Parts: sequence; structure tokens; C-alpha cells
Amino acid sequence: MIKKFLVIPLLFIFPSFIFADNFDFQRAFSDYFYNFNLYRQTHQEYISAKESYLRYKTLTSKNTALEKTLKMTQARDETARTYLIALKMKTEETPGISSYEKNILTFKLDNEIDWYSKHKEELSSAATLEDLVDLAKKAGERYQSQTEILIYQALYKILVGKEIALKEKISFQIEAIKEKLKEIKENGNKDTSLPERWLLEVENRLIRFEEKISASQNNMARMEGGIYSDKTQIYRESQLSLEEAHQYLKEASRYLKEIIREVKTGDGNY
Amino acid sequence: MEIIDQDFEVIPNQEQKAKKVLPKKPIIFGGIFFGVLLILVLLAVFLNFPLSRPEPIMPSPTPTPFPTFIPEISNPSFYATDSAVLKIEEELKKIEQELETTDLKEANLNLPVLDWKIDF
Repeated sequence: MIKKFLVIPLLFIFPSFIFADNFDFQRAFSDYFYNFNLYRQTHQEYISAKESYLRYKTLTSKNTALEKTLKMTQARDETARTYLIALKMKTEETPGISSYEKNILTFKLDNEIDWYSKHKEELSSAATLEDLVDLAKKAGERYQSQTEILIYQALYKILVGKEIALKEKISFQIEAIKEKLKEIKENGNKDTSLPERWLLEVENRLIRFEEKISASQNNMARMEGGIYSDKTQIYRESQLSLEEAHQYLKEASRYLKEIIREVKTGDGNY
Repeated sequence: MEIIDQDFEVIPNQEQKAKKVLPKKPIIFGGIFFGVLLILVLLAVFLNFPLSRPEPIMPSPTPTPFPTFIPEISNPSFYATDSAVLKIEEELKKIEQELETTDLKEANLNLPVLDWKIDF
């Protein structure tokens, strides 16, 4: 009898552990996608209810409007919340972001996730349509003043992280080639002057890459300048700088391949 | 006793018959013509006959492709089969592949379009 009492709670506890372990970006993204679709559906219903209320101004239509607006605003909060969770998971899974930066971003994103979660609960307390509208406006203000900028910062960190990770991989290969060239030079059975010169070209590309990254980071810093700045435009410009930086990485990688080819080719082939 | 006129079916005479037959001829000829044309088109399609003169290929500017063909090394060095060199080469191939496939937009994570202005 005691065993039965022990087994039943375990059946409920273990799946939650398994679920917690499997929760990754893909799962978080699916949650967000589902909620976003749900939001769109409730938004349509809200629009119809609003039009009906504004046209007839009856108590019934007002009550329906209250019900549909509550559903829609709650779905909106849930969409924002699940989107922020997906963003957090993506940040955690992206290489190239330092653990310090990850911690700061996770802390900020968790704050926002909590806010939307609480706000969603708060919406249920609205007794009238007017109260609900006032409460719903708070989410809009929060999004405008804090959430939107945090989203752009997180998205930007994800993109920079990817670039930094790629650059680190290239730098690692540069070091390996340098080691090999040193060994070849010591052996004296191959001329290394040409690949050494080309290595300088590769390093030059990485310097330009750093410059582009730095320029895009400075541009992103403008976003915090004021709530009236065009965040989308700033983000887009920074993203373009990252694309340019990416081209330098491609060139560096191509040059490294040429260096390897030169190392594999005997002297006097050129 | 009054004889009531009856309406009989109007039987066309030979002249009228000839008039009715005449319009059928163009339809028959047209049908034959289009049938033959259809057979010819089908033959041309199935037997790859040129239906029209091929347009001359005009030289047009195309973007210079990045050379993907790398000729074999005719004069390999002592390090052509060196394990460390081959390992670096392999790693560089992986990096190149990653550089090509990196998503620099993350479009699936674009900000959701939500209606923040609730007003009545």
C-alpha cells in the first residue's frame, strides 16, 4: 500500500524532469509559433467584437467585446512571453557569446518573461472594458520602452556570437598553419616565404573583420540613446555591417586554403 | 363539314437539303486540317523536330564565377601527405561550409507583429 503511494507521485515528477531536460530552442520556438497563431485567431475575434460594439453600443456587445479583448490581450502577452523564451534559448545555444554576456541577457530576458506572465494574470482582474483597456495599454508601454530594445539586443548578440565563433575557428587554423610553417622552416626542405606573406593577408582580413564588428557594435549602442530612435533601422544597419564582416571571414578562409595548397606544392612550381 | 387545316411537318425539298449540307463542308475540311496539324505538332514534339529556327545565342555578360575547379598538384611537396597539413585542410573545408550556410538574418526570430494599441 505504501509502495503505491510512493509510485503515483513519481509518475508525475519524472516526466517533468524529462521535459525539463529536452527543452531547447526548437521546443521553445514551437511553443511561440503555436501561441502566435492562437493570438492571430483571437485578434480577428477581437476586431469583430470591437466593430460590433462600436456600431450597436449595447450591453451585450460590450460584454462580448470585454470577453474577446481579454482573450486577445492574454494571447498577446503569452506570445510575447513565449517569444522571449525562444530568444533566451537561442542565446544560450549560440556559440561565441561569452558567459558573462549570456548571464546578463538571460537575467534581462527573465525579467521581461516574468513581467508578461504577471501582466497576463493581472488582465483577468479587470471588471469592465475600460479597466481592461487601461491594463492592456501597460503592456504596450512596456514593450515600447523596454522589451523591444532588449529583443533587438538579443538578436544582435546572436548574430555577433555566430561571427565571433567562426572567427575563432579561423584564428585557430591560422595558429596551426603558423606552427607547421615554423616546423617546415626548421626542416629547411621547403621555401615558406610565400605562405608567410599570404598569412599576413589573412590576418589583415581579420583586422578588417574586427573593425566592421566594432562599427556595428557602436551603431547598436545608439539604440539606447532614446526611446524615439528608430530601433528597426539601427538594427538593420548593424546587421548589414555584420554581413560585410562575414565577407572578410570568407576571404580569410579562402586565402588559408590557398596557403595549404602552396604548402602541398613542391618548390619551383610557380 | 368544315375541314380543319392540319399542321404537318415541313418536309424540305431537295434544294433546301442542299443548302443545309453545304455549311458542313467547311467544318469537315477544318476538322481534317486541324487534325493533320495536331498530328504534325505531336510528331514534332515526340520526334524532336525543330519547330522553329533556334535563336542565335548572343553573348551576354555573366558574373565571374568563383573558380571551383582546382587543378591537381602536379609537383607535390614533401608535405602534400603530411597528416597535420591534411587535418588543417579538412578543418578549412568545414569552416568554408559553415561560412556558406550561416544564417545572418535569423528571419524566423523576427519580432512578432502584435497589436499593442487597444482602444475603443
